[in-house]
Amino acid sequence: MLQPLEFFIAIILVSALSGILGSLTGLGGATFLVPIYTLYMGIPIVYASGASLISTIATSSGAASAYIKDRITNIRIGMGLEIATTSGSIAGSLTVAYIYSHHLQFIIYIIFGIVLLSQVYVQLIKSKFELPKPVKPDWTTKVFGLYGKYYDAALHKQVEYIGIRWWLGEIIMFFAGFISGLLGIGSGALKVLGMDWAMNLPMKVSTTTSNFMIGVTAATGSSIYWLFGYIQPFLAAGTAVGVLIGAYIGTKILVRITNKTIRYIFTAILIFLGIQMVLRGLGFGF
Amino acid sequence: MDFNDIIGYALRIGVIISAVLIIIGVILLFTFQGSNGFSIEQIASPNSIVNSSIFIPSEIVSGLPDLRPLDYVYLGLMILIATPVVRVFLGIIQFASERNKLYTIITIIVFFNLMFAIFLLPLILGK
Repeated sequence: MLQPLEFFIAIILVSALSGILGSLTGLGGATFLVPIYTLYMGIPIVYASGASLISTIATSSGAASAYIKDRITNIRIGMGLEIATTSGSIAGSLTVAYIYSHHLQFIIYIIFGIVLLSQVYVQLIKSKFELPKPVKPDWTTKVFGLYGKYYDAALHKQVEYIGIRWWLGEIIMFFAGFISGLLGIGSGALKVLGMDWAMNLPMKVSTTTSNFMIGVTAATGSSIYWLFGYIQPFLAAGTAVGVLIGAYIGTKILVRITNKTIRYIFTAILIFLGIQMVLRGLGFGF
Repeated sequence: MDFNDIIGYALRIGVIISAVLIIIGVILLFTFQGSNGFSIEQIASPNSIVNSSIFIPSEIVSGLPDLRPLDYVYLGLMILIATPVVRVFLGIIQFASERNKLYTIITIIVFFNLMFAIFLLPLILGK
């Protein structure tokens, strides 16, 4: 067993690495954190997801303060969808409290593995189109004011966009909130899917708005995690600090690399961890 | 300075304060080799018996003058959790000042969900 100081340094290093991977893939640190903690460091999944939920709030708030300056985040759309994610998160965290108190941890391993493997698909098809196809506004566009514009520094132009199918976005967001509460992750990929695919918003708007929403969703679930004792102070402290450092380094690297090979390496890591989580859940010795 | 900048600064300040408190707590923890009656080995074990269920938020604040390391860590975590809540609250003010009725109501509902989860649910669950 590791001595306290060594253990703390290990937590910082692992969570910084997860923060880097998370910010480069856009999946958030928690996606890599929980599998590494549970599979390789002997940390109970209850504490791993508690720490990861805390780290999600840290990265969301940290990044959001930078994104707000760019004015790409659409606060109206984000806040509207928060109704569903916060409700979903309450349902999800109550469900996981039931699961843990009945010692059904294996369910969480399997679901986590499946969520990781489903991200593989999202990673591979991602960002083929920077901007969505133009669509006709529907009734929700007008009622909920689903429009906006931002200056795209890469395309060197002002982008105007409209969103549609608010109701479909809400349904997906409830599910994203549920997964967030259940697994202690931000479920950013699912949130992006809701805005990108269902509501036809540009990728940049979806990712920054999703980042904004993740913090609020995680804060909702954290009270139930706190109450049931899933937040272990030593682990949560190291994780929050480590992920913040990692996310900061990640954003600095991000501007330098757009290489496809790197995405394939990350995807391979996802497959590897995803399969191991499912196997652990099924009772094989990982 | 417009409203978005205020929100941006609020988020940043929240994260910085909580990170500082957490780091102070960890340094104190290693200095005193323990906290709140637990040894550092008990606190730092992967299967630690020390977790949030035995820390009551109101007691954490009153225990700060005693320099109990874990109280600093927990206060930092509480401020971290409070940051998005403050952000939503500022959102209510922002939409109200824009006279956007629909979104003021929507943001109040989101704020209510947060308050429900943080303050009412613990009472309902009777823990």
